[in-house]
Amino acid sequence: MLSRLIKRLMEIRENARNVLSMNKRNLSYIYPSNHRQHFPVADNKLLTKALLKESNVTMPRTLATYDSFYELNSLADDLARHGDFVIKPARGSGGGGIIVFIDRQQSHWITPGGKRFTLDDIKKHITDIIFGIYSFGLNDVAIIEQRITQHPGITRLSPYGLADLRLITYRHHPILCMARIPTVASDGKANLHQGAVGLGIDMDTGITRHAILQEKDITHHPDTGKPLLEQQIPYWSRVIEMSHTAAGRAPLKYLGIDISISDNGPVLLEINVRPGLQIQNANQLGMRGLLEAVREEENRT
Amino acid sequence: MNTNREQSKYDLRHYTFIALVVSLLLAASGIMSYKLYILNYPLAGLIPSISYQVDVNIDTTGHGDDISVQTYLPRSDSRQFISEEGNSSGLFNLSIENRPLNRIARWSAENIQGLQKIRYSYSVEAKHIRYEIPDEMAIPHSYPEDLQEYLQETQGIQVNDPLIEETLDKLFPGGPLTILNAVTTIHRHLQDQFPNRKFSGFTDAITALKLGEASCNGKSRLFVALVRKLGIPARLVGGLILKSGSKRTSHQWVEVYIAGHWVPFDTINDHFASIPANFLTLYYGDLVLFKHTSNINFTYSFNTLKRLVPQREALDAIDHSGFNIFNLYTIFEQVGISQNLLKIILMIPIGALVVVVFRNVIGVETFGTFLPALIAAAARETGLLWGLVGFVMIILVSSLVRKVLDWLQLLHSPKMAIMLSTVVIVMMTMTVLSVHFNLFELAHVTLFPIAVLAITAERFAIIEAEQGTRKAFRITLTTLIVISACYAVMDSLFLQSLFLAFPEMLLVVIALNLWLGKWIGMRATEFFRFRKLIFARD
Repeated sequence: MLSRLIKRLMEIRENARNVLSMNKRNLSYIYPSNHRQHFPVADNKLLTKALLKESNVTMPRTLATYDSFYELNSLADDLARHGDFVIKPARGSGGGGIIVFIDRQQSHWITPGGKRFTLDDIKKHITDIIFGIYSFGLNDVAIIEQRITQHPGITRLSPYGLADLRLITYRHHPILCMARIPTVASDGKANLHQGAVGLGIDMDTGITRHAILQEKDITHHPDTGKPLLEQQIPYWSRVIEMSHTAAGRAPLKYLGIDISISDNGPVLLEINVRPGLQIQNANQLGMRGLLEAVREEENRT
Repeated sequence: MNTNREQSKYDLRHYTFIALVVSLLLAASGIMSYKLYILNYPLAGLIPSISYQVDVNIDTTGHGDDISVQTYLPRSDSRQFISEEGNSSGLFNLSIENRPLNRIARWSAENIQGLQKIRYSYSVEAKHIRYEIPDEMAIPHSYPEDLQEYLQETQGIQVNDPLIEETLDKLFPGGPLTILNAVTTIHRHLQDQFPNRKFSGFTDAITALKLGEASCNGKSRLFVALVRKLGIPARLVGGLILKSGSKRTSHQWVEVYIAGHWVPFDTINDHFASIPANFLTLYYGDLVLFKHTSNINFTYSFNTLKRLVPQREALDAIDHSGFNIFNLYTIFEQVGISQNLLKIILMIPIGALVVVVFRNVIGVETFGTFLPALIAAAARETGLLWGLVGFVMIILVSSLVRKVLDWLQLLHSPKMAIMLSTVVIVMMTMTVLSVHFNLFELAHVTLFPIAVLAITAERFAIIEAEQGTRKAFRITLTTLIVISACYAVMDSLFLQSLFLAFPEMLLVVIALNLWLGKWIGMRATEFFRFRKLIFARD
């Protein structure tokens, strides 16, 4: 009886030791691996694009950028050729300030939710971005970029918005991945706090293996009822390749890399210097052992 | 090669860290032992004593005439210590007259129209005293000239009334044997045979005797009349029984002159030759506590707040002990920083340490890293409950205002400046309203850190918008819990006394923070967050 209790306690201790905690992540991974002077590469999407230019990493093509008001004079011309595009702040966080347009009808642009924007509405939004409303009061740059059309294989899993893959990389090695699937509750946003599904993915095969919704383990999409597990992520080997390259080029050694799968293959959206820990619950797997394995591997060579 | 260099960088950092922690601990314990063993600091002084803050509130309503109000103020003596006296009387002029026995305060003003408030406050630290009356001591035959007045008949103390003599004959058939016998018999008779009556009007000695029951002033006059008739000097004492809360009733008891001492007796509460620590002496003699010109509406009340404070003797000893370099407090006093303020400042790092433990070891989210410690420090004046109420109200109102500003889509800096103004306005409104409703504790919200509150309201609104109202209120709730914990720790008299006596303890706090800064253990809440991983069975 007592020996079983002790055995159980040892087991719990071993499990706990394999989970990466907040304090451990900050002290042992973020602070030593990510130096503050390199943060802008991750925080500013234009710098991220510059860093990954001329590599096998695809990012959404930039159509135009605006960092001052007089540049807005050319907005009508710039948009003339485009029906679908995305406006985002270069230094926004958490998806704030991003507007997606899917179509143009005469003088209006339409969002996926059916909202109609005039040219002046769009100008107003870009002005807000430049003013820094979405980036903690800093002046910012508005980016207009190509809209990603989601791969049908992913749309089957995620019909309510653009899903993304979050990969954790340590010293160039992708070590853990989850997909974030928007739901009705998350209002189309791929944000776990707001009710998106977290979908753990096997690193070797790219097959989904575990799913969580908030605190619960689930097996089927909460809105469509379709199965979420045992699904193959398309272009998996290219996802791994791409995150490997991105992590190798970035001066930051502990990263969260966000990738979406388009018709034509994976597209890197952004990189993150303080990736969260919920990915462990999504995979039902602690990641400390994985991180330490990378460290040992590198120390040996 | 690269790894080698990183390894040696890591080692250097690690050893610097260890050296820093060790030297901080050594420095602190070194200074402490120097003070304890060479300067002989009193350690017993770290146990706190009780203090009462008393507010005398007087409301007068005049009709255009001149007004004068008079009352007695307490004096420091060997039993009670009065400090931190303060007067706030608006249009009234205060003059204080020091008589040999009593201290009289008079407020006067001309042409008073409408309601005027007078507020006088002081702090009281008093001791319990108990006298031993010698067994065999006889009643002296004569007393010096200056005690004669304490043997005389006065208007309410009818010493020479035949009823007094008759009562004494009954109590002492063969005449009193000793002083002890005399005061014991009279005390027991009044305490046991005369039921207490709650009656605030004037009762003289004979009326009390005839009724066979009385309030404190009637019993006291009868006690004095009986004792004086036996040829022992005695007098009335007026004062307050100190208890947290608001009241109008004052109290009277008796002092009998025995063997060169004025020995107290109270036959309402059965204090024989003793006086408890919560009795405050205001005046000696058969006097009226309040006098005022007759042409006004007049009400008064006493508000009392019980507090624990460091022992005065210990603080004096620390102040006066040896080497100037250790005697910091006189330096602060020279520039007008009181020990009270210093105490709060010294406690803020402790509060911050509590917050660190809550955030990094327990793992709860709070608004702002040090907001809870600062609010807890400011809540010293409002009390914890009103501090929390004030905090929540400021945050809610300000974040509502922020919502409007957000809708207007303003730039960050001007928006924050408006938030700051909002917090100031909310605070001032709360102060005015709370004075109006007599919630004087809440009125002290103006001491809250304004800029920190503005930023907190901003954070509240952002979290509410981005992560939902529930999340915002959950963080508010945990913030309130952490504020309460900070308050409990920062309010600890033991810690306050310890840090006042040994400010070098701050080095220990820094050492603890260094250690916590390298602590990589799992936060308590993470055991819950990752429960499915940690408590999984193979």
